[in-house]
Amino acid sequence: MVPILVLLVVLLIYGLAYAFYGKRLLEQRVVRADPKRLTPAWEKFDGVDYVPANKYVLYGHHFASIAGAGPIVGPAVALAWGWLLPLVWVLFGNVFIGAVHDYTSIMASVRHGGVSIATISESVMGRRARYVFLTYVWFAFILVLAAFFSVCADTFTRVPTAATVAIVYMPLALLFGVMVYRLGIGVKLGTAISLVLLVLAIAYSFYAPTYLTYEAWVVVLALYSIVAAALPVWYLLQPRDYLNAYLLWTFVILAILAPLMIPVFRLTGPAIRSFVVTGAVVGAPAGTPPAGAPIGWFWPMVPLTIACGALSGFHSVVGSGTTSKQLSSELDALLVGYGGMLTEGAVSSLAVILPAAIAWDFAALAQNAGISADVMSGALARIDVNMTKTPNILGLVGAPARFYTAYGLTQAVAWSRVFGMEMFSDLLVGFSTFAAWALTAFMLTTLDTANRLSRYVWVELFDWLKPRTPRLHRVLTNRWFASTIAVLIGATLAYPSIVDPVDPTRTIRAYSILWPAFAGTNQLLAALALLTTTLWVYAILRVRGGSALLMLAPAAFLWTTVTLALIIWLIFIVPHLPLLYMVGTGSIVAASVALDVLLISLFVRGLRMARKA
Amino acid sequence: MMRRKALGTIITVITVIIMLYELFYVNITKGGIGVKGAVSIDAALLASAFILILIGPWLWLGEVPVAIKKFVEAKTGRRL
Repeated sequence: MVPILVLLVVLLIYGLAYAFYGKRLLEQRVVRADPKRLTPAWEKFDGVDYVPANKYVLYGHHFASIAGAGPIVGPAVALAWGWLLPLVWVLFGNVFIGAVHDYTSIMASVRHGGVSIATISESVMGRRARYVFLTYVWFAFILVLAAFFSVCADTFTRVPTAATVAIVYMPLALLFGVMVYRLGIGVKLGTAISLVLLVLAIAYSFYAPTYLTYEAWVVVLALYSIVAAALPVWYLLQPRDYLNAYLLWTFVILAILAPLMIPVFRLTGPAIRSFVVTGAVVGAPAGTPPAGAPIGWFWPMVPLTIACGALSGFHSVVGSGTTSKQLSSELDALLVGYGGMLTEGAVSSLAVILPAAIAWDFAALAQNAGISADVMSGALARIDVNMTKTPNILGLVGAPARFYTAYGLTQAVAWSRVFGMEMFSDLLVGFSTFAAWALTAFMLTTLDTANRLSRYVWVELFDWLKPRTPRLHRVLTNRWFASTIAVLIGATLAYPSIVDPVDPTRTIRAYSILWPAFAGTNQLLAALALLTTTLWVYAILRVRGGSALLMLAPAAFLWTTVTLALIIWLIFIVPHLPLLYMVGTGSIVAASVALDVLLISLFVRGLRMARKA
Repeated sequence: MMRRKALGTIITVITVIIMLYELFYVNITKGGIGVKGAVSIDAALLASAFILILIGPWLWLGEVPVAIKKFVEAKTGRRL
């Protein structure tokens, strides 16, 4: 197998999926998108959350928001199965599930005045489903906030130049917004000016580290999140994510270019290593007995590992949260929702899995590229990889390290053919650093959006209060108050360190006790979101026959897969964890299974009622 | 409204001055902003600027640009 073949197959699948499954089936037959119908961005315009956006700006926002660390870290961990199995799951998950729930969540929300997918569930599954769903989503957001505060603060502490990049980015994003919205400068010219300034600022930041402690960064990021979530979308969120999308696009385009420059290299990684790997790959905390046990069956456990790279419940909340409130025309939703998810899939398949398949075995890669083992070893040493101790990608500690190394090596091999082999070592350092920055950019934009979404969910949770005590409702749903609640809890989980229950000589961040449950929570949300939009299509849009089945079958498959995975977690992992993990992670997994059963029964009831109607 | 704008202008100007001072003067003279493993005044000032740069221009320029308002009014026919 050669890189160009994998690249062409992936691009062909995405192209066909977009044109046929997305456009012909979902947009034209299922949802029947109508450009004449006014979207909530127009009908409920408030200048803060409901603001129509240019479709490319919105595509940038949606893509940058849904792509957190998951599409990179997940597939890098999943390499334990080999490179082919994760690639198959990413492609299948993208086309038939992830892109479908993203697109249909946006459209369902647009047709229901911009409310979240959880609130839409009321129209097809009843009021109880709505509040259970909303509560679950809100708590999931707290976990996301805690994890992203911690990971970003940790990255800023370890890579102080990344902190400076984040700081200088802010005034430039605001400048872009002011140029386009206030000074009437066109999007193209505004983009060109901002990008030039951005490149200069990033280059300067490389020589301007900002040093703060981990705890101080958590506080700064928490304050930033409160402010960012309460400000109008046109002011910060749209321009920032739009500009960020260029950085992320550059990252993806480079990943596509590299295989074209080394088209007939032999892939050095195994297509399939094993169908069963250790529990650590499917989320069992490191050092616990299940982490080393052979319980990581590819099916049904793979969604817990690959997560956002293939599909994610978080996406459907973004789609029915910030995105649907800014959609200018129903026809824009396909590019933004379906296209956004395929782009995220391209990050996983082409920027993580394919580079790993190319650069898996360092000695074999050196031989392929005509580089001596000494040169390869010396270059790897510059990014702290010891080729003798760690001869392949899988031996590297931590998924991010696998990603930086594979991406950096593939780019360095490709571009050294243009700039000369003597540049190989410098190119490896440069591209590995670029990959680290891209990962930080993905995480920061997701952090921005996550708190705004938790605010929306919070507001929808208290709508029942409005007719009873309007004054209390006004206080609780005030955008500054609602932005602060989730951040306070998230930051409280991210700030302190506690003694590691597995190894008392170490400390871990407090949120780590709950975090292993997030993969299951997020994938369960995805299954519930797809079931909800499928039922919406069936009951409200009255789509029947093959078109309905093409949504129902993947929804049923995903629900079965995720439910089995959660049950396996509950049986094989939770009972063998230290007490603190058992209480923290275990209780969330147990609650997820209970919720799963409750909502599927409401789904079946809703489906029966829709069939009778 | 005028007070809000004045406050926004002051915050924006001060924040921009802090950013320029820290990024260009402090960084060039000290080789970085702040001290590794500690919270220094320079790093705290720049971190504050990171937040204040969001608030200042927002207070100064107001919430909804006239261009957007007019665009929405033209499309929907309703007066905002």
